[in-house]
Amino acid sequence: MKILLGYIVLFFSSTFITPLMAQTVTTEFSLDNGLKVIVREDHRAPVVVSQLWYKIGSSYETPGSTGLAHALEHMMFKGSSKLGPGESSRILRELGAEENAFTSDDYTAYYQVLARDRLEVALEMEADRLASLTLPEDEFIREIEVIKEERRMRTDDRPSGLAYERFKALAYPASGYHIPTIGWMHDLERMTIADLRNWHERWYAPNNAILIIVGDVAPDEVKTLVQRHFAKIPARPIPATKQPLEQAEPGQRSITLYLKTQLPSLMMGFNVPSLASSDNPTSVHALRLISALLDGGNSARLPTQLERQQELVAGASAWYNAFARGDSLFVLSATPNVQKGKTLAEVEAGLWQQLKQLQDTPATAAELDRVRAQVFAAEVYAQDSITSQAQQIGRLESVGLSWRLQDSDLAALQAVTPADIQAAAQQFFIPTRLTTAYVHPEETRP
Amino acid sequence: MMSLRMLSASLVSAVLLLSAGCSTFDRAQSAQATPTEQRISSLAALSKHNPVTRTLDIQQWHTSAGTKVLFMAAPELPMFDLRLTFAAGSSKDNTTYGLASLTNAMLNEGTGQLNAGDIATQFEDLGAQFSSGSYRDMAVVTLRSLSDPKLSAPTLALFSDVTAKPSFPADSLARIKNQLLASFEYQKQNPGQLASLALFEQLYGQHPYAHPSSGNAESIPAISAQQLRDFHRTYYSAENAQMTLVGDLTLAQAKAISEQVSTRLPRGTAAAMTPEPLTTAASHTHIEFPSEQTHILLAQLSVKRGDVDYPALFLGNQILGGGGFGTRLMEEVREKRGLTYGIYSSFSPMQATGPFMINVQTRAQLSQATLQLVQDLLREYIANGPTEAELADAKRESLGSFPLSAASNSAIVGQLAAIGFYDMPLTWMSDFMQDLQNLSVTDVHEAFKRHLNPDQLVIVTAGPHVEQLPLPEPVERSGQAATVERQH
Repeated sequence: MKILLGYIVLFFSSTFITPLMAQTVTTEFSLDNGLKVIVREDHRAPVVVSQLWYKIGSSYETPGSTGLAHALEHMMFKGSSKLGPGESSRILRELGAEENAFTSDDYTAYYQVLARDRLEVALEMEADRLASLTLPEDEFIREIEVIKEERRMRTDDRPSGLAYERFKALAYPASGYHIPTIGWMHDLERMTIADLRNWHERWYAPNNAILIIVGDVAPDEVKTLVQRHFAKIPARPIPATKQPLEQAEPGQRSITLYLKTQLPSLMMGFNVPSLASSDNPTSVHALRLISALLDGGNSARLPTQLERQQELVAGASAWYNAFARGDSLFVLSATPNVQKGKTLAEVEAGLWQQLKQLQDTPATAAELDRVRAQVFAAEVYAQDSITSQAQQIGRLESVGLSWRLQDSDLAALQAVTPADIQAAAQQFFIPTRLTTAYVHPEETRP
Repeated sequence: MMSLRMLSASLVSAVLLLSAGCSTFDRAQSAQATPTEQRISSLAALSKHNPVTRTLDIQQWHTSAGTKVLFMAAPELPMFDLRLTFAAGSSKDNTTYGLASLTNAMLNEGTGQLNAGDIATQFEDLGAQFSSGSYRDMAVVTLRSLSDPKLSAPTLALFSDVTAKPSFPADSLARIKNQLLASFEYQKQNPGQLASLALFEQLYGQHPYAHPSSGNAESIPAISAQQLRDFHRTYYSAENAQMTLVGDLTLAQAKAISEQVSTRLPRGTAAAMTPEPLTTAASHTHIEFPSEQTHILLAQLSVKRGDVDYPALFLGNQILGGGGFGTRLMEEVREKRGLTYGIYSSFSPMQATGPFMINVQTRAQLSQATLQLVQDLLREYIANGPTEAELADAKRESLGSFPLSAASNSAIVGQLAAIGFYDMPLTWMSDFMQDLQNLSVTDVHEAFKRHLNPDQLVIVTAGPHVEQLPLPEPVERSGQAATVERQH
């Protein structure tokens, strides 16, 4: 079944930003109103993807007003000056387009994938809801119920979703990253249409957006279309934004949860910087390599040592989002192999042993070569999808990094030495940076 | 083996993002406002011609071992995809539930010379991606590789070993069984999955589609390595395989690869076709579960691959509940009443008759009213069929989306693999598109009446028993500046 939503895993640990292949042509320009436009040509098939990314997400929200970025995303489909509620979806569907939107901590993005001759329709409607969103109250009253259903489905009825929400709330004591993107239920209950009108007015301006177009198009042709529909939208002052920052060492924290699950599980998160917040990019690239060494494939350390050799876990993973707008987390998670009688405490010790191994022993050349081979191949494979290409650009640009980083990414990773990896492990994998969540089955509550 | 590696991924899948869009479409709405094309100038300017479609030059042959091969050269990116399909899904389990799935999951666990770690290390050293999966009709083994022969030659040799000569080592078998048992424990926390398992049991009774493809906690522990070897020898044969190759390969290279891979497979015969299921009586099964939402599934046996009515059912379903926003179900249940995040309907044609299914989840207090609403909407659609305008929209949509179906190598691999497995003509994709364009309202209506009966639904609900509320009033959308004026 087709997945309806833009469902993106936030932390793409083992996914590297992919450097450009020699043959790709990417063009960047800006309109006078500040809208940044990035066009990448891919002429394999007569199709195109258009993505409009706004530099606004749930990490910009405040206590009591959580879930606004995501709720506004829903309401962007409810009409604008040229369009009635739901009409843009209706039109795009008749044109055979795929369309949807997605919201995260750092960005809100809207996209259409369609036959190349239909691009202008997508652009005209996207420009209209940027400039003149209607936000009808009767539609909001129904839509907020849809959002509550979404929350029940993704979070309240899903133990892994609920556990992650609570874990994240604890792991980010200082920054807006502790806010769940869908919003707390009690905030959804008291959200009003006025809150959303205010949100759109504050953040939805051409100078706070990046338009990314990938496919069978020429930059000049795109420029004409973008000018035609977006140039007349005036720039507006955007509130000054502050980068989400954490204490380097907030102190050791833990949370214990009893949920409607059969299997226990564990999450460990270390407060670490991102590429955008760090003054030492080498340590950030070292953390990315650590994530790949631990979980970059079936031959990585967690599946090899914990899953197959020790049979300690039924599954384990590691991930790190180096491309957040502010300070990030390095996360490990695992489920014990209960069939072998393994406990959460043993799994926790096993994960610490992995981290200690990273601190004490240099990674071998063979291991690092394997990681590089995977990075190189992944950069080729990612080009099979125009949507992946646009998303890689958007994830960088929306947090204030340049898409041109892709060009130097492989070199940046190759410059990391085994000693850099050890140094990063020693610096970051310490108890004072750690949040641990212990998830137990409800039946085992003492 | 994807499902096992997903265990802890599921723990973090909530890490996600949320999203949504919305759509509206009101059949009852009067067309009083300005036509869309006057408001959206680019729509008026849009050419009435159908969109340009990528030309697919598909080659087909049989290898000397009898494997059918479909190939399309795509030299633009230095990579290729190889997909093998076998009639080796869980419909071949007989009474050993999970045998097909376990065989498939064990392929990359050992080859005699290499253990699971060696195999993973070698693929990953070469930048290659190996995966496998098992479903009701088919088992799938896939490879994505760079096309540089220095990398692709050893990758293909390893792929061939893993597919043709798996050793099913005892230590791996014990471990994979434990991981499967853990995944069954995970199922118990998921009311939607529990409902789906119950639904197939109800729909198929004693038929081989009835049991879960992955087996269950009772069947898995008893499966022996010898049973896996026997299953592999019987069903992973060259004669029971189809191969799809797409990417940066010449015809000569593709032919050489197909020979190399297929001739090492066991020799045998194509598997027998899956028998037809008996029709099932209407039923309603409820699974009590302590969730916030109730999951609702409605289904009926409906259509198999190759049925002449399938284009009509597909197109009719696009109007009813297929594909996302703008369908009748989405409009009435989500957009007007805010009852759910998503409601979908689908036909799943398989080798033997597959189900038509609607699935939706809603807050438990409204589950009975929602179920009634969905049944009413389905009954009305079967009784009266779509409108002319709805049919024209759906045809236009299918034409417009056609270029997207061949936009990437992976999309093309998926299409060709289905064509190969279900023995459809190479022109199937464009034939199907043409069939859709030729359909009338009567064709769709009659096909729905032939294949669905609103009094024969198998219904499964999973959720808590709570006091029920009536449906909320639907939101009215009259008076908006924008009434949908269809363009055609």
